[in-house]
Amino acid sequence: MPYEFDEILETIKMTEIEHFDIRTVTMGISLRDCADRNISITTQKIYEKILRYAGNHVKNAQEIERRYGISIANKRVSVTPISIIGDAFGQDEFLKIAETLDKVATEIGIDYIAGYSALVQKGFTKGELELIKSIPNALSLTQKVCSSVNVASTKAGINMDAVNLMSNIIKETAEKTKERDSIGCAKLVVFCNAVEDNPFVAGAFHGISEPEVTLNVGISGPGVVLEAIRTAGGIDFQSLSELIKKTMFKITRAGELIGRKVAEKNNIPFGIVDISLAPTPAEGDSIADILIAMGIEDVGAPGTTAALAMLNDAVKKAGLMASSSVGGMSGAFIPVSEDAGMIRAVEKGHLSLEKLEAMTAVCSVGLDMVAVPGTTSAETLAGIMADEFAIGMINDKTTAVRIIPAVGKKVGDYVDYGGLLGRAPIMPVRELSSKAFVLRGGKIPAPIRSLTN
Amino acid sequence: MKLTEDKIREFSIQAISELGPNASPDAVKKLVEEKIRSSNDFPEGEMNLSSGRVILTSFGLNTTGIVSSISAALSEAQCDILDISQKIMQEFFTMIMMIDITNSPKDIKDLQEIMKSIAERLKVKIYLQHEDVFRFMHRI
Repeated sequence: MPYEFDEILETIKMTEIEHFDIRTVTMGISLRDCADRNISITTQKIYEKILRYAGNHVKNAQEIERRYGISIANKRVSVTPISIIGDAFGQDEFLKIAETLDKVATEIGIDYIAGYSALVQKGFTKGELELIKSIPNALSLTQKVCSSVNVASTKAGINMDAVNLMSNIIKETAEKTKERDSIGCAKLVVFCNAVEDNPFVAGAFHGISEPEVTLNVGISGPGVVLEAIRTAGGIDFQSLSELIKKTMFKITRAGELIGRKVAEKNNIPFGIVDISLAPTPAEGDSIADILIAMGIEDVGAPGTTAALAMLNDAVKKAGLMASSSVGGMSGAFIPVSEDAGMIRAVEKGHLSLEKLEAMTAVCSVGLDMVAVPGTTSAETLAGIMADEFAIGMINDKTTAVRIIPAVGKKVGDYVDYGGLLGRAPIMPVRELSSKAFVLRGGKIPAPIRSLTN
Repeated sequence: MKLTEDKIREFSIQAISELGPNASPDAVKKLVEEKIRSSNDFPEGEMNLSSGRVILTSFGLNTTGIVSSISAALSEAQCDILDISQKIMQEFFTMIMMIDITNSPKDIKDLQEIMKSIAERLKVKIYLQHEDVFRFMHRI
């Protein structure tokens, strides 16, 4: 037997007991050749192109799932930022594109389609402004469309006009989807340093330097890491790091295999494996539980940021050894609503928005799936975003904000979406005003890259 | 495997011109498929990677006839058992088989269905996974 008994059982244990799965296989499709001055021709081209490349995406992914016995939680498609395709269009035309994307996504059976996006870190084109203004309607009229807007980067600084605009767009989206706990905001991400090959929604888009079509894979597997750390007990930090690396190596290898095989099945080139450790709301599939297993009492305790930093670093080191096609976000995710341990920490009052912000300085990907009271003002949201993007801009890393100012909800209430989006307790926000700061307008200049203290 | 749309179009045009007046849709399809198969776009390593070797893992409470039921079904499906390793740990039965399904008329999905019914009857778990996943995870 070329494999040891233990090796085979370890793999079975990972997939059957410890929730190891592939979070997503995301097909990135360029829509740049679909631009036309006539909106019906544009939507027709978009529809046909997505159908042509991704028509069998779900079927092929399911076949690979069966062959290797590893489940793939989501099958997704990302497309060229729609603002680039439709720069000459107005809001009504953009909405038609959103509806087309939703329609084709439903027909081919994928879970999400992402790329209703604009990159405005240095300023808006007319089309980008129109697309952004159409986001609240687009997200309330569609089910599967995800939107993202990049408003800051290390090279360009923070476009505070865009931050202020987006805080209003978030409020409007929350209002327009208030019957469903403001779910629109769960499909809208605001970014600093967005990456072009991210397979994870809601922030995925097929960047302009990407090829015609590509297949990116996002792995999961906190349960496997958790079980390894629990079993190992009180070992020292180097040994702990070694243990995490060994586990992540195997997970990444399996992820790359699945990605390559799905790409091969679809007859398209393989892109990247995103070595992010993505939690799910299932018990035992939690990043928070890993931090607790590392020795802190609960998320939010002193030491949380250090534990997370170490985890994140070990994940990356192992992933880079395991695959030569690492890309995307590649870090541990700490979304609140999608992680049972994070939810618990917020419920108990152990985890504040401020501590969460500190944690995002050392991992992927920002304030993710955070629900705040519906009364939170647009200026406060802008302040929260500006803080998060400052972390990304200065540290040359991707940060994002996916925040839900849930209409009609207050601290103690919940938003509940079910599925992978999970449920989130409403977190308290400081009542201090940031209005006079954020409303100055203009841009926060790009930072210096030396003297980095 | 790199098979672009352009390549398929090129094959189709070649096929149509070769077949001339005999170019019925079925004949073209057949010829194009042949051309794809014989084209050298399949890198050697890639082909080796997708071997027909499958790992079957079974465990559960020990009862009589587990090995015989599974191997009978495999032999009926013309699968070749390359290696077998079986242990009883306390009450538990564990078995790992390496199987070659290259010559079987059934694919891995069919075999999984067959094993599912055996697993239900014997109240054990049976997993069938392609070998690559173990190679990728446990071998550098």
